[in-house]
Amino acid sequence: MWRQTFKRIFRTGWNNFKRNSYVTVGTTGVMTLVLLVFLSLIALNFISDTIVTALQEKVDITVYFKTTAAEEEVTTIRSDIEKIFGVRSVGYVSRDQALEDFKKRHAGSALINESLAELEGNPLQASLNVKANDTSQYSAIATAIEGNKFRSSIDKINFYENEQVIQRIERISNGLRNWGLISTVVLSFIAVLVTFNTIRLTIYNQKQEIEIMKLVGGSNRHVRFPYLVEGALYGLFAGLFALMIFYPAMLYASPKIARLMPGVDTFGYFKHNAWEFIILTFAAGSMLGVFSSFIAIRRFIKI
Amino acid sequence: MIEIKNVSTAYDNDIEVLDKISLDIKDGEFVSIVGPAGAGKSTLLKLLTRELRPTNGEVVVDGVNLAEISSREVPLLRRKIGTVFQDFKLLASKNAFENVAFALEVVGATGDEIDNDVPKVLAIVGLNDKIDSFPHQLSGGEKQRLAIARALIHRPRIILADEPTGNLDLVNSYDVLKLLMKINELGTTVIMVTHNRDLVNTVGRRVVTMEKGHIVRDQVESGKYII
Repeated sequence: MWRQTFKRIFRTGWNNFKRNSYVTVGTTGVMTLVLLVFLSLIALNFISDTIVTALQEKVDITVYFKTTAAEEEVTTIRSDIEKIFGVRSVGYVSRDQALEDFKKRHAGSALINESLAELEGNPLQASLNVKANDTSQYSAIATAIEGNKFRSSIDKINFYENEQVIQRIERISNGLRNWGLISTVVLSFIAVLVTFNTIRLTIYNQKQEIEIMKLVGGSNRHVRFPYLVEGALYGLFAGLFALMIFYPAMLYASPKIARLMPGVDTFGYFKHNAWEFIILTFAAGSMLGVFSSFIAIRRFIKI
Repeated sequence: MIEIKNVSTAYDNDIEVLDKISLDIKDGEFVSIVGPAGAGKSTLLKLLTRELRPTNGEVVVDGVNLAEISSREVPLLRRKIGTVFQDFKLLASKNAFENVAFALEVVGATGDEIDNDVPKVLAIVGLNDKIDSFPHQLSGGEKQRLAIARALIHRPRIILADEPTGNLDLVNSYDVLKLLMKINELGTTVIMVTHNRDLVNTVGRRVVTMEKGHIVRDQVESGKYII
């Protein structure tokens, strides 16, 4: 009996959905747009999070020592830094290593190589590269290093410039996220209104059937549920169209994004999590549709 | 069966349509309700199906106070009450079988139940040869008989007929009346609102006269149409 009831309800909802093609196209179109904005917002979040994470990885504290600093002082300072709360690792680059690295980086530059040959001795400084468990801890770590007893052997602590760049990017990223969220909310509201109006039209056109259903003691399920099914169908089809547009568009755009922002594989992200995004899109679409129908039913069908 | 106790009803604009009316209808009675337009006759019927709620007083149908039932129980109440209207309220896009079957589909009946019950009830009203006909292919009398068939499909305890012969000629009117009387003989309570004096006098049963929201006369036996 339940199967039969469900079949009838679904059949009525389906007939309502396909009855008026212009209205169906319009309603589904608006919902598709909302879901596309929603998916684009997720893509934008992914891109900005990837960039911010990559940059955060680059954040570190580099402690440059004076060329006159003694080896024991450097070792002591390294050991002290390792004990500071929040420090993940401390890498040491000796003066000789720094010179080797410099020569390798500029192997193709005749001018730099000639200049180096002219200099007596090694002009480069030894350094410690400090990485934290969390970027929020760098400030405290830098302050602790400033207070070290061998601070006089330290030439400079390079941290604050990097932090400003990261904070700026985080601000831009949060701004984009907030605008994206506002747009999604506003468009969702519009989609709900449009779908609400469509369901209202269907209810109006079926006034007579609804009246008779109520008269003959039709259950609330039979009277109301077909409209919920209709709303869900708008959402499901909108989800389908949104995915059919979004994935090819992302496949096309992803290499271009990667050229601008190396290391950002947007399509890979959506491909790797394809099932989750498919379910999410269909769920979001049908929830929007069902919600719109629900408020139309409450407003226009009284038992 | 039906107890209307001191009921008053006003519509949204606060115009009182029924004013402290009381009426008891026993199981199996045939009651004609007569009166001029605006007397509150149709409003009384709407109270019995919980389409309207009284502003004061109580309506009890088959032992159930209608003010105490939830909206989920209202469909169950309406399945005990068959309704027939002047404008038939048939679905033009469905044939005779489908119009009656519709009443079973919306209560979750199975295909077998529908195939079994619908032809039987169409036979009761004399429409077994019109099973595939659409409403526009039926005469006025046939349409009303089809509406009665739909009203009967749930085997209701009560039939409410609001001007059932309003759009019919004399012959068809009497056919419909005979059918309602036959249904009443089988034990169903029938409450008929009508302006048709000849029908009321032909029935010769209880006649309740209403005027301006009051019951002005209640002829329990051998009632006549008196305004």
